[in-house]
Amino acid sequence: MDINYQGESLLPGQLGQLFIVLTFGTALLSTISYYFATTAKDGSEISWKKLARLSFWINFFSVVGIGSCLYYIIYNHLFEYHYAWAHSSTTLPVHYIISSFWEGQEGSFWLWMFWQSVLGAVLVFRAKSWESPVMVTVMLCQAVLGSMLLGIEVFGERVGSTPFILLREALSLPVFARPDYLSMIVDGNGLNPLLQNYWMTIHPPTLFLGFASMIVPFAYAFAGLWQKRYNEWIKPAMPWSLFAVMTLGVGIIMGSFWAYEALNFGGFWAWDPVENASIIPWFTLIGAVHVLLAYKNSGHSYFTASFLAMISFVLVIYASFLTRSGILGETSVHSFTDLGMFWQLVLFNIIFFGLMIWVLVARWKELPITKKDEETYSREFWLFIGTLVLLVACIQIVASTSIPVFNAVFGTKVAPPADPIAHYNKWQVPFAIVIAILSAVAQFLKYKRTDVGRFYRSLISSLIVAVVLTAAAVYVTNVYSNFMYILLTFASIFSIVSNAKVLGDAFKGKWKLAGSAVAHIGFALLLIGALVAAATENVISKNSTGVIAVEGFDEVETPGDNLFMYMDEPIQMDDYTITYVGDSIDGVDVYYLVNYERKDADGNVTERFQLKPKAQQNPKMGLVGTPSTRHYLTRDIYTIVTAAPKIEALLNENEHEDHEGHSVYEDYEEPMTHEVTVGDTIRYRSGFVVVKKVNRSATIQNIPVADGDIAVALTLEVNSAKGKQYIAEPIYLIKGGMVYDFAKDVDEEGLKFRFTKINPASNSLEIMVYQKPPAEKKWIVMKAIEFPYINFFWAGTIIMTIGFILSIVRRHKEVKESPVRRKK
Amino acid sequence: MKKSSILGIVAIAVLIAIIISIYGDSSTYASFTEAQTTDSELHVVGQLNKEKELVYNPIENANYFSFFMLDEEGKECKVVFNGSKPQDFERSEQIVLTGRMVGEEFHASKILMKCPSKYNDQEIEITESVAAS
Repeated sequence: MDINYQGESLLPGQLGQLFIVLTFGTALLSTISYYFATTAKDGSEISWKKLARLSFWINFFSVVGIGSCLYYIIYNHLFEYHYAWAHSSTTLPVHYIISSFWEGQEGSFWLWMFWQSVLGAVLVFRAKSWESPVMVTVMLCQAVLGSMLLGIEVFGERVGSTPFILLREALSLPVFARPDYLSMIVDGNGLNPLLQNYWMTIHPPTLFLGFASMIVPFAYAFAGLWQKRYNEWIKPAMPWSLFAVMTLGVGIIMGSFWAYEALNFGGFWAWDPVENASIIPWFTLIGAVHVLLAYKNSGHSYFTASFLAMISFVLVIYASFLTRSGILGETSVHSFTDLGMFWQLVLFNIIFFGLMIWVLVARWKELPITKKDEETYSREFWLFIGTLVLLVACIQIVASTSIPVFNAVFGTKVAPPADPIAHYNKWQVPFAIVIAILSAVAQFLKYKRTDVGRFYRSLISSLIVAVVLTAAAVYVTNVYSNFMYILLTFASIFSIVSNAKVLGDAFKGKWKLAGSAVAHIGFALLLIGALVAAATENVISKNSTGVIAVEGFDEVETPGDNLFMYMDEPIQMDDYTITYVGDSIDGVDVYYLVNYERKDADGNVTERFQLKPKAQQNPKMGLVGTPSTRHYLTRDIYTIVTAAPKIEALLNENEHEDHEGHSVYEDYEEPMTHEVTVGDTIRYRSGFVVVKKVNRSATIQNIPVADGDIAVALTLEVNSAKGKQYIAEPIYLIKGGMVYDFAKDVDEEGLKFRFTKINPASNSLEIMVYQKPPAEKKWIVMKAIEFPYINFFWAGTIIMTIGFILSIVRRHKEVKESPVRRKK
Repeated sequence: MKKSSILGIVAIAVLIAIIISIYGDSSTYASFTEAQTTDSELHVVGQLNKEKELVYNPIENANYFSFFMLDEEGKECKVVFNGSKPQDFERSEQIVLTGRMVGEEFHASKILMKCPSKYNDQEIEITESVAAS
């Protein structure tokens, strides 16, 4: 029986799905057309090219169409669609709708396709004779990506996962038997609070642009080899390769910045498998850039250059496989779970890896590989060594990260290293040392042959300066405990000094050299920053409070990193006296205000500031903390709240109305009875009460005082420790021979007073004082970490990016200046 | 020998060293019974025993968190973690611990949790709103 569902807007989804099919179809058509445009020699290549371009543009607009439909669905909260329900909610601010767009795999695949379309457009306009062979590869990739979004069943197997699947198609639940199910779904799952952050709007697009742009060097290398235009592809590929490493590098560092600033990893790089996956193609493409230069200037390293240019994109696909297939499930904090596209991702890898192997093997004999060896004192030799080191470093990362893949293939059950940071640093630090030294030394070498004497003379001055600076730096930053770290500091400083010298030459007019000098300086600063911060970061909230020494227990209890603090109770932590002073609530976020004070030896306050780490008490995810950091020039103090009382406790108890079955006294402790006279003072928990006077003709609301009745009121003045005053007047009534008393409360102090007896003989009055138990004191648990010299890390990144831009400009000019070769 | 051959040999030697080190550093997935027999740190995969109590009392000790876990062989063990309770812990479907056995307790230095995936989450919040008649 077909159910007629009410209220669904099916049009956006159907339109979107149409665009998806169109995208896939036109990508295939474009690939085939560009192929024939490249290979046909009978004059038909012109019409093939026209067809290829036409299908390319339809593909471009279809991709935009997919995005528009999805945006429309999310923006209008159409929860009949699974994607909108799973990744957004009605309470999501509009600027985070962009973030929810790529929270799911389908959205991020789309993002990749979108960037690839943009890059394709640039190629169509600018690649000239390279357009057809290069676009074959690009559109092939576009077709494969398109297949990831199809979501159709072929021979019982589902191909791809479409973002337009309806909620009732994705989940099978009894509620969908009702035609009006849509009115019962009030809200979506919402965006993961960790992703409600401006970083989520900029990190994925940058990262995916970096990944997407890596296809261009691949495509050029493949086209060059395929079309036997062995030398010509290098010049146009250079600026593209530089653009790809620059963008991917910035994207990765953004992720690192995000983790540091907003996530609670407590650091900026954890050698987590997903982080590693994104960095492996970066290593190989940086290597490729350097040997491409070596080949251009000396004729050596052609094979290495072509191989690395192509393997970089294959590694991008491998990285996608690692993160999206779910194979990393047990080893990584932030890998996605399997969406059922495992074999499609494997196929994706095989296709491009296969193309690379085919073209290298088929053209092997014709590759311009020189028989001669390089001179030892030549720049190209050392560029090659450096690239080799990068490749080995990359293989180390790939191997360790791929342990789950080995397990899956070979049926083993090897677990990844118990301490990944120590494991990776053990290898990557020596590699980094070598690379940094080479980036210094190679600047003094010339291509082909260098005068040995001149080389050492120019080197020695930089070397000496570097040694002196290293000694100073090591002393200041306290890293002298570890020899490896000292060596890395030296290597980085040496690189900075040498490249500063080259930069000096650039200012004297040789502008061409500026790009590499600036980029190397940036990279070396980044290494120093990472090294120092990581090596000397210390948890300053380490404490042993709460640990009870157990008799007979010889082991020393490791102090924990988390510090417990009651509100308004200052604690000494490192140089600071910290006090949790309160909290403020803003929407779904709770900001915990922590005051920091630094005092000098005499107790004078030298510095005072307030940090506001915040936490969201998400009903689905518990307490999600966001750190707050104090930035100094030479270090950061980073604070995060790891535990706090539930929010109901913060938004205090509503006044409980008395009703049947409740005693008015149930909120109070056992009362204390006092015999007092006027002028007496009684203490209570947080203050004192003065008995002021007696009012013998008190009036009570609603109860007339008849003759023979006595109504006496007692005026009590409550003085709280905080300096506030309150008046309470409990009443004692004798009416018709019966004794009654009317209690009066002072809610602000949690007090209740009853005037219960008058003793005329001793002239004393009896009162009963009720107190509420002390409200549970507010508390937080926080962790504070100090990161020394971390600003080098960020500054280094910015400088390195500037260096890349300078190089791109230079290499792009070279392309424009070279004569354009017309294809026959 | 040609320079490139020397380089090739050096590179291969380094790669072999890397593989040996990975194997040496790698840990094992084990059960609680196996963890009893060794002093080195290893991984134990299992599920949270939701019937038994979770202890995290920051007022007493902000760095003591304990719970009971069942490993893949079904054996139960008390786990102690020197840190704060990870968010959403009760909702975890699977836990991977890194640590070592100390006496009868497993002292974990790291906890990794697998939470229900969105596709498997068969629960949607449904509210019935009765239309005003």
